[in-house]
Amino acid sequence: MKRPALAAALALMAISLIIVAYRIVSLGYPVTPARPDHVWTFRFDGVLQGTGKDPLFLLSLPSQQHGQIILEEFIGSGSMNFNLLKEYDNRIGVWSGKPPKDGEYISYRATILFQHRGAEGTVVPPRRSYPYGIADEQIALVEELTGQWRVMPLSTRIQVVLGFARVGAAGSGNDPNLTRLDKALEGYDDITRLLILLAAVSVPARTVEGMALAEGVTDTTFPWVEAWTGQGWEHIDPESMEVVPSDKRFLPLSAGGMSAVRTSGGRLSMKRFELTRDIMGRWRIFFEKVTRSDRFLDVWSLFRVPPEFQQTFRILLLVPLGALLIALLRNMVGFQTFGIFMPVLMALAFRSTGLGYGLAIFAAIIAIGYAARRYLNRMRLLLIPRMSVLVSLVISCFIILALVGNRFGVRQFMAVGLLPFVILTMTIERFYVVVEEHGMRTALQTAAGSAAVSVITYLIIQWEVLQITFFVYPELLLFVMGLQILVGRYTGYRLSELVRFRSFGSTDR
Amino acid sequence: MIPHPFRRLQETGVLGMNTRNAEIIMAKNPRSRFPLVDNKVVTKELAALQGIPTPEMYGVIMKHGDVKRLDSIIRDRDSFVVKPARGSGGSGIVLVKERNETDLITESGRTITITGLRYHVADILSGVFSLEGHDDQAIIEALIHPDDIFTPVTYRGVPDIRVVVYRGVPIMAMVRLPTAASDGKANLHGGAIGAGIDLARGLTITAVHRSSIVTHHPDTGNPVSGINVPHWEEMLLMAARSLEMTGLGYIGADMVIDRDRGPLLLELNARPGLAIQMANRAGLLKRIRQVDKAPEDTFATPEKRVEWARKNL
Repeated sequence: MKRPALAAALALMAISLIIVAYRIVSLGYPVTPARPDHVWTFRFDGVLQGTGKDPLFLLSLPSQQHGQIILEEFIGSGSMNFNLLKEYDNRIGVWSGKPPKDGEYISYRATILFQHRGAEGTVVPPRRSYPYGIADEQIALVEELTGQWRVMPLSTRIQVVLGFARVGAAGSGNDPNLTRLDKALEGYDDITRLLILLAAVSVPARTVEGMALAEGVTDTTFPWVEAWTGQGWEHIDPESMEVVPSDKRFLPLSAGGMSAVRTSGGRLSMKRFELTRDIMGRWRIFFEKVTRSDRFLDVWSLFRVPPEFQQTFRILLLVPLGALLIALLRNMVGFQTFGIFMPVLMALAFRSTGLGYGLAIFAAIIAIGYAARRYLNRMRLLLIPRMSVLVSLVISCFIILALVGNRFGVRQFMAVGLLPFVILTMTIERFYVVVEEHGMRTALQTAAGSAAVSVITYLIIQWEVLQITFFVYPELLLFVMGLQILVGRYTGYRLSELVRFRSFGSTDR
Repeated sequence: MIPHPFRRLQETGVLGMNTRNAEIIMAKNPRSRFPLVDNKVVTKELAALQGIPTPEMYGVIMKHGDVKRLDSIIRDRDSFVVKPARGSGGSGIVLVKERNETDLITESGRTITITGLRYHVADILSGVFSLEGHDDQAIIEALIHPDDIFTPVTYRGVPDIRVVVYRGVPIMAMVRLPTAASDGKANLHGGAIGAGIDLARGLTITAVHRSSIVTHHPDTGNPVSGINVPHWEEMLLMAARSLEMTGLGYIGADMVIDRDRGPLLLELNARPGLAIQMANRAGLLKRIRQVDKAPEDTFATPEKRVEWARKNL
């Protein structure tokens, strides 16, 4: 007898878990989709002025790269044209066209997620190269003076070069070679000096322009040097000349010596960069990915449903959980409720009125309805017309509530909405029947049971973590179904029967 | 396996609501046979086929056009009962105990005109007393004059005897005694008390009143135990025949003892309640298991089943 039900329940739960596991393992879905993550919003705003000719404005944009995911981008170009260029590792936004006389407001916004970088995928070291415009004899001189360093291991070479860049020849007891090297590099700025030195000891290096990852507004970006350490590009702090871990600390915009902001034929009368840190649920981050993916389960994901309908499904997905709870409370604990779905529907109605007002409104209308129903009973109306009278009564109550709410500024009174009038009418009728058949005491107990269950159900369906989890993994419904089947096969005693049959406790048989 | 608090109930063999619904009613009572017990007219007909006595039926009014027949049905009768065929919980029942020139006087002393009764019958037909709102039929039948045996422990009304029958075997019985709290109705929910009846001897044992044990009737103050129920063997046989009548494996048979006609079957219930266990201080499940363990041929006839029950339970 119990076998088929148990098998069905286990099968449903297994299928559900397999799909969830597949999504997590193979499709990389988040295990805890409701957990918030930090994201950064990068903003550029500028006003472009034409100076006779049609201006061209180039902005290096943050790019999708290791440890850095662009979630969404918005471009504001006004009357200008916008194009996207790819140049080596750089993504460049190009605004062109004719700005109005008083300039054109242009903007760019990106939401970026920084993740731990781990080891870089590319293991082929880039080639070393000297900055543009360094004379050959200069290179020969520098290479000759640094010859002793070139034989050292890669990381040592970087450390030695950085040590020299930091303090010059003075740090090493005025070694004559280093004094000459110091002299040879005189006249170059810190970054160029560093690039030449690194190139001389065969360490690939590049300049990067970008921003420090910190909340704030600035009107300029700054450059820094990155050196290839064998595992990846490492950031060298331009002040202290030390390798600093760059994980989640910098936002690179352009690499390879290119300036992040360039204009030709015009000028920017205003420019500002802004970085803000936001908290975003993982599911949102994930949602961005899913909407762009063409994998089967992603295409058939609820995320693809237009957003205005998504909210409905977020709630709907939790209704079976409420039903499961009612089954549990009724059959295992022994709660008495009016009907099976009445508490679920009440919980849905509470979403618009709020818990306190919702309960009060329900109680008041049921009390009024019960009085009316008693009176109606004397008239001996037939079922359908009798229910119609009650519907009219309930809706009259709603209207009076709305008017009173409007007059005294209680929004919740006006929020009763469409849904609950059916259940209220049915509940009045059920309440009356229970009073007639089992007495007022039982009726009030049942009402309290219904209210308690609907409050618990309300708390469940309002719990965002659960909403999101079920939305990301709708197959969890199968799991709920499995549990429902199991509850359906529970034929043991109800907790309430301990009280009901307590007189058996005293017998010694 | 079983959580500790339930162990005592388990050991006593108490039948819980879940087990009753899932293992007994769903397994033994096919849904298709429920209409046989839901409509009292059908139940009466089936009872007649088995030779089970029921209150004498004076007439049935099936449709609104027939309401005028009411006059001819009740013309020569001083006392009678009007009740809906599908009613539950005693709603819609009018007990007429005597009449004068124009009016009828009910059991509770109220007067009602014939016209008023005709309206009442029309209400019954329209399904006012049937909770699902189904169209109904009105039964006009003989008024019960209860046997005096329970008079000392009855507050007005008619006490009735409930026998729970499993696979045709009467496994537990009680008598429901109206109280002031139940307004003279033999309805445990309404506050009537239920006194368990020892199957073998037909003697009342303890009683339950709103899930606590009582030894005396709350209104009359007389002890409820030790009453020797008359016609006991016959009533058990009537109950046992409900299997042949309906094919339902789990039934509550409600009977009354009429002063003149003896035991009469009032109605059958396909979902008998669990309170009978407290009235008997015994578990239904234990007895159900005993029945299931007995060899099949023990239960070939109603007589054999009653004999087995009186010997073994």
